[in-house]
Amino acid sequence: MSIPAEKLAQYDEYVEALDLLDEESRFEYIIDIGKRAAKTPFPEDCMDDAHLMHGCMSKVWIIHGLVDGTHQFRGQSDAIIVKGLVSMMVGSFSGLSSDELADVTLDQIRGLNLGALTMQRQVGMMAMLKHMQKLSKRTDSAADISAAAE
Amino acid sequence: MNDISRTPKHHNLEAGFEVERIRQDFPILGREVHGKPLVYFDSGASAQKPRVVIDAMVEVMEDQYTNVHRGAHYLSQTLTDRYEGVRETIAKFINAGSESEIVITRNTTEAINLVAATYGRTFLSKGDGVVISAMEHHANIVPWQMLRDEIGIELKVAPIDDRGVLDLDAYADLLDQNTKFVSMTHCSNVLGTIVPAKDIVGLAHDRGIPVLLDGSQAIVHGAVDVQDLDADFYVFTGHKLYGPTAIGALYGKADLLAQMPPYQGGGDMIAKVTYEKTTYAEPPYRFEAGTPPIIEAIGLGAAIDYVSAIGMDAIQTHESALLAYGTERLGEMPDIKLFGTAPHKAAIFSFIQEGIHPFDTAAALDRAGIATRVGQHCAEPLMARLGVDGTVRASLAMYNTTAEIDVMIAALERARTLFR
Ligand SMILES: Cc1ncc(COP(=O)(O)O)c(C=O)c1O
Repeated sequence: MSIPAEKLAQYDEYVEALDLLDEESRFEYIIDIGKRAAKTPFPEDCMDDAHLMHGCMSKVWIIHGLVDGTHQFRGQSDAIIVKGLVSMMVGSFSGLSSDELADVTLDQIRGLNLGALTMQRQVGMMAMLKHMQKLSKRTDSAADISAAAE
Repeated sequence: MNDISRTPKHHNLEAGFEVERIRQDFPILGREVHGKPLVYFDSGASAQKPRVVIDAMVEVMEDQYTNVHRGAHYLSQTLTDRYEGVRETIAKFINAGSESEIVITRNTTEAINLVAATYGRTFLSKGDGVVISAMEHHANIVPWQMLRDEIGIELKVAPIDDRGVLDLDAYADLLDQNTKFVSMTHCSNVLGTIVPAKDIVGLAHDRGIPVLLDGSQAIVHGAVDVQDLDADFYVFTGHKLYGPTAIGALYGKADLLAQMPPYQGGGDMIAKVTYEKTTYAEPPYRFEAGTPPIIEAIGLGAAIDYVSAIGMDAIQTHESALLAYGTERLGEMPDIKLFGTAPHKAAIFSFIQEGIHPFDTAAALDRAGIATRVGQHCAEPLMARLGVDGTVRASLAMYNTTAEIDVMIAALERARTLFR
């Protein structure tokens, strides 16, 4: 099964933008996304252990909710670069159905072409994807987003 | 960066030591990272290797390789001699009384586990105290905790002050009747603090308590004399001493090693084996089961010869100058908070940049070609004591220069604008 193109518009936008940039500018681009993400609110009370993603050097929190049958995510981190990376992840892959989300491949993450960002592996965008896929299967996390919206 | 007023300082610092010539010996230092010359400030995690180490290891594999201690043939005898020669080299390097007091291990971690498992299980029992410090690497915490869980020893932690200086009075107070062993770092991998090892040993010995010193960091920054320190055990790891990975050493006083049972069973560690009964070899072989890290040992031998030729005192003088310069430059930056300001310390800078996550700082340094470490540095309890989640650590070595410190300062200034 493949994911309808229109659902990956945000992902494609990132890929295109990053493709045009050299390594140094990519680094600044991610910092910019991180800084912008810092301005969109993330519920304070979700920055707790229950929403913490383990295995990262900086703290990463991801919340999840089911809206009209699609999975919505929001992410937060205490480090700006990681905030940028997690924003790209939740921005790219929110709005998918369960099947579609399960279909997101590691190749697609590689397609973001952040290989040059040497921290990538440590930050673990792959791990973020796995974490989002795991969250989507949990029923008890589904209320987070709507609660956050209030 | 090319501030004229600083130029003479560079000159003075490096005159006589010829750091540029030393740098030529390390092939990797010629490479670039992200299009910038590599600034390697992560030697505390693992140091780079000089050409002589690389060559020695290649030469063994190309021309001399076989197993040691076993073969009745020319290659085996010559390589066994060379391998055993490394034991002598290590013994001389730390001034051990005899090469039979040197046990070859894979690293510091294995050496401490060996002592905890053999000395610990034999001589310690329920209720006995083992004293460590508040700035231990996990390698000197977890083996003792495992022993605690197994036989019920008690772990006691000697505190440090806010500069990272060990509180000697509090340490002495911990040496009560129950305390039966001290296992302490000689130099903190996070703060750089060099502890007063002789006093630590002396105070313990006054009460008949043996002491293990973790020399992983200390041994690279200055001369170590285990007899002068009177340490009962001294452990270190080869890869931080410009040698290869998977090779380290445990020094143990002969009379202690003689009383300790084997660590692992297998070949090389036995005197005689029948199905009914096996008798064990004498130390150090008793503790070296199986084929040893032969190639790595040759590499470590070459590394020790290399630093010895330069001179540990000369290395220490150079690194002290780097420490002083780096401390001054970082001190000029109002947003840098430095952890570890003990008067006696190695060239290790642990810091955070106020308002910026250490991970972001380290990423900005990486973009400038500067390799540092970020996080908890295998010392979580110490991080809790310092009240931080993590720090950036720049750990310098003999091949670093003041000009590289300037590169780091410039990159930190850039980070401030990037992340604010
Ligand atoms: C003080 C200290 N002890 C122990 C170790 C562990 O060394 P290894 O991993 O080589 O066993 C290190 C290295 O990180 C260290 O700095």
